[in-house]
Amino acid sequence: MASLLSFLNVSKRYPDGGREVLVLDRVSLDVDAGVSVGVYGARRSGKSTLLRLAAGIALPDSGTIRFDGRDIAQMAGGERGRLLRGDMAFMCAADWRASPGETVVDHVATSLGSEGLTLREARRRAMGVLDRVEIGAAGAQEPTTSLSAAESVRVMLARALARNPRLLVLDEPALFPSLRDRDSFYAMLRTAAGERSMALLVASEEMAALKGFKVLVSIADGELVSTEAQGTVVALPGRRRAGTEWPGR
Amino acid sequence: MRGPSTPLRGALLGLLLERPGHGGDLANRLAVRLGETWRVDTNDVYRLLEQLEKTGLVASRDEPKRNNNRRTHLVYYPTEQTPEALTMWMETLLPREPVRLGLQAKLSVARQQDAPRVLIALKAYERECLVLAQLVSPTDGSARSWTALCMDCTREAVSAQLEAEIVWATRTRRRINEFLERSQ
Repeated sequence: MASLLSFLNVSKRYPDGGREVLVLDRVSLDVDAGVSVGVYGARRSGKSTLLRLAAGIALPDSGTIRFDGRDIAQMAGGERGRLLRGDMAFMCAADWRASPGETVVDHVATSLGSEGLTLREARRRAMGVLDRVEIGAAGAQEPTTSLSAAESVRVMLARALARNPRLLVLDEPALFPSLRDRDSFYAMLRTAAGERSMALLVASEEMAALKGFKVLVSIADGELVSTEAQGTVVALPGRRRAGTEWPGR
Repeated sequence: MRGPSTPLRGALLGLLLERPGHGGDLANRLAVRLGETWRVDTNDVYRLLEQLEKTGLVASRDEPKRNNNRRTHLVYYPTEQTPEALTMWMETLLPREPVRLGLQAKLSVARQQDAPRVLIALKAYERECLVLAQLVSPTDGSARSWTALCMDCTREAVSAQLEAEIVWATRTRRRINEFLERSQ
């Protein structure tokens, strides 16, 4: 089966002063439809770069990234934009900006503008997804400026879910004030993904946050190590050569 | 033979390739290389050297002690097979051996030409930790009972350990890569 999202030998460099830093070095990764992939890595390990490339927000220097078989780098800018408003959702918890005067339900409903819905229909759908992230009717009428950190992440999730994406790319939702908030967010995320057969590509610097993900990947120094053999085959050349003693036994 | 001294066999070969030595000297050198936490047992070292000699990976000669010419002790030397055995040990992870200890032992005597093998071993170890992390099941976010909390904290202990192992392995890979870049 073809993957929903695939990275093949993807490299990315960024200028750093007078030199270039290789952030990703020929990485390969597959995200199959409906499968959750957790990316674990320290700060500045290249997690965010990997996710921004997946979402087509940044483009690779070499290698190919395909979504649903189509090369993201070959798409026109507008097409990549449509992809991010349709089959794929990108969410970065650090990007949360409240809009003064906007209610929570309208914040979610306005993101559905491109779907040809009336405002009333959009609000109804928004209420449905807000309910899934445990923000009830009263909370939905609150202004976005009144949300706590944990609530704002849930509203972002609702906004991402509202368009029924096939893949949700989620960068570091580590802004939770308590572990309980974090765990309930991840439980919501897993449930929502399971119900919709939505694939997940989630980066975190906390291993504990990625419990229950089907595939785990670690990223460091531009390289990926994955629990899936594909893309990151780590061969252990541990065969004994005939006739040579070996001190391990 | 298993147990914590198994990884030391390979390390002894590495030390002997650097220079020959008697058992006590090798035990001291190992202790310096591996640090306080290993508690290298001198008797273990003598036993391991005897075993290695039986398999032809080291050879010994009775030589007079430096400070007392009337007494002798066994001084161990590498054999023709030692370099290749060390290389093979570098590229091998034993499933039964405590992997991190094995890796530490390898690192302690690794030659620069072993860098590719050490990097592969580190990646394999990282993958092994990820596979174990996958087995840690998530908690239902709504579980609020004391029992659920305790179970969850137990799982977090596993995650935290694996996380620390991965951090160590990735950092070590990075340092080796940076060193190789600089020395190119």
